[in-house]
Amino acid sequence: MSNATIGELLVRNGVSRRTFLKYCTAMTSLMALPPSMGAAMAEALRAAKRPSVIYLSFQECTGCLESFTRSFSPSVESLLFNVISLDYQDTLMAAAGHQAEEARAQAMKDNDGEYLLVIDGAIPTSDGGVYGAAGGRSYLDLLQEAGKGAAAIICVGTCSSFGGIPMAEPNPTGARPVSDIITGKPIVNISGCPPVPEVITGTLFQYVSMGKLPELDALGRPKVFFGNTIHDRCYRRPFYDEGKFAKTFDDEGARNGWCLYELGCKGPTTYNACATVKWNNATSFPIESGHGCIGCSEPNFWDKGSFYAPLSQGAFGKAGNVSPRDAAKLVGAAVAVGGAVGLGAAAVSRSRQQKLAAAAPDKMKGG
Amino acid sequence: MDLLSFARGPLLQFALFVFALGVVWRIAGITLLRRGKLLSEPRAPLVKALFGGFRTMGSRSWPHPEFIGRTGAGEALGYSYHIGMFIVILAFGPHIQTWAGFLGFDWPALPSGVITILSVLTLTLLLAVLFRRLTNRVMRLLSNFDDYFSWFITTLVIVTGLMATAHFGGPYETLLGLHILSFDVLLLWFPFGKLMHAFYIMPSRAINGYLLARKGAPS
Amino acid sequence: MTIRLADIGVRLDTGGLGGGAAALLNEVAGLLERLARTGKPGLIDLRNMPLDEFDRERLHAALGEGEIEATLRTDGISRFRETGTPGVWWIEHRDVRDGLIAELLEIAPNPDILSSPAEELERGALALRARLDARIVSPKEAP
Repeated sequence: MSNATIGELLVRNGVSRRTFLKYCTAMTSLMALPPSMGAAMAEALRAAKRPSVIYLSFQECTGCLESFTRSFSPSVESLLFNVISLDYQDTLMAAAGHQAEEARAQAMKDNDGEYLLVIDGAIPTSDGGVYGAAGGRSYLDLLQEAGKGAAAIICVGTCSSFGGIPMAEPNPTGARPVSDIITGKPIVNISGCPPVPEVITGTLFQYVSMGKLPELDALGRPKVFFGNTIHDRCYRRPFYDEGKFAKTFDDEGARNGWCLYELGCKGPTTYNACATVKWNNATSFPIESGHGCIGCSEPNFWDKGSFYAPLSQGAFGKAGNVSPRDAAKLVGAAVAVGGAVGLGAAAVSRSRQQKLAAAAPDKMKGG
Repeated sequence: MDLLSFARGPLLQFALFVFALGVVWRIAGITLLRRGKLLSEPRAPLVKALFGGFRTMGSRSWPHPEFIGRTGAGEALGYSYHIGMFIVILAFGPHIQTWAGFLGFDWPALPSGVITILSVLTLTLLLAVLFRRLTNRVMRLLSNFDDYFSWFITTLVIVTGLMATAHFGGPYETLLGLHILSFDVLLLWFPFGKLMHAFYIMPSRAINGYLLARKGAPS
Repeated sequence: MTIRLADIGVRLDTGGLGGGAAALLNEVAGLLERLARTGKPGLIDLRNMPLDEFDRERLHAALGEGEIEATLRTDGISRFRETGTPGVWWIEHRDVRDGLIAELLEIAPNPDILSSPAEELERGALALRARLDARIVSPKEAP
């Protein structure tokens, strides 16, 4: 909650110009911006004031925050100390109880209309929102209040972006994503279960340095990170194109790094940065480690059938992929009904044939 | 529910049901019809007559030498796109996985590049077939909705499949959804139009062959 | 039996077409020509280029090795190597865990980040003067 510019804070914190320029260069590279923008970004940031950030956690597993704190570049420490003023975050802040809530209220008041609201977790709405509460107030209530004074809302994770696991069948708490509850405010959805750490920090960083939200896709996700499917950037794509698929998790194909389509990879229909930015400082990502993509950055991914059934398999019913038994039951039922209808049709035809035979006995003898 | 989930979920379920129902209905409706009594003396034992039926399935699958000049081109065209379609349906990795869901087992796939080439060839042949139907006076006179729609829906499945593979024309999940949707419509239409020839031709040839063989006539 | 990361087999046969290197070198040449003509520096981000190991070898071979190596120690190590082609610097930025966070080619008389910033020169002079005035000359007492 400081009025100092980021540049002044950097000096105060002993962060050299070179360090900051290196950091901006890395961010520019991560976001696939022209490298010449690194210096411009550094200048823009130095002149900017750190925005106040209020981070509210609702129906979530805290995995998104865990991911956020694992960001390598920019590291979350550098982000927190230099670029944003994190005025409220349940897990990271030292304060607790009434004092913390008062600090939040004060931050929201002092920065009314200007603070960045970061949300993780879905919001339960059934029965007046009683299934989720903090400090004696429902999540629904807290979100609506915080949303009023926010300049923009950043949803971190699939739960706040699209509903995620709380919203999966049968959704007993009436969980909803943020965009179903707040309207009229710019919302960025950084989906993923959890999102790639650098995608979270990169988006925050971009907002602060550019002063505006990044370009978004139809689902409100930053295009720079969610513009391509995993399939489009997968290093195993040559094997898909050649028709070389691993059949089980330990066979020859799997050991040779073949395509995981038959093991249920949802890469072709999943938009995320895992295949390029990767995880744990570009160490690996699920497919590289031998497991197919589960499509965690897409809406309703929990209810789209088994993670291990190929994308081209039918998925009848709520969460079930077609099995031979399902097919047999369905076809059996259809055959029974069809047979009955056929018998009926045949009966009608036969009686007509009988009438014709009776009318012209020479033409059609017998039956 | 989004297009893809709908097309491969409830709509596929419904389409399969209608397909199985329709096919059984039509086959039952035909096989249970009254038949004229066979008035001629059987001139061949039963086994020979049955064998004759089998033979006819093969012999009528190839034009008689006298007719090849006239019908050869059409037959070649027809065979080619049918074979192309079968290979694409049965030897493309993702398609094999769809079958595996219903049958419980799978089989080796061909390289996807080969499948793409075959699909494009099949599509070209289908366009040629339509061209012939539209430009030949007799064919045009004889053609009805069944002919055109059956052609259309088959071609649509292939076109949407190629578009999905090429990631051309929209986001991938939409293209895939459209491909599966068009397949669902094909299934729904199948029992009620000329596509039923798939189930009729072999039995039809076999029965004719049997009857002829029984009479002692060449088939 | 524990499996190491390196044991997980990924056999990709790219065939080493090397087209990426040729295109990149063309861009470097263009930027170098512009630098010589107008003095305007340029930057190329190597991380976002589709370069395979063959391309990189070709790039190294074409640019050559220069005389200068510089190390920047801040928030991890960054290495600056002048290539055998004057004006072309190969830069690697690494973080505290030695992960590569950026890799660039800078086409300039020398990398911009290595210069001491003009704004800080006066401050440095003042600080040094202050130390001299206070007669703090021993390294132990230096601020």
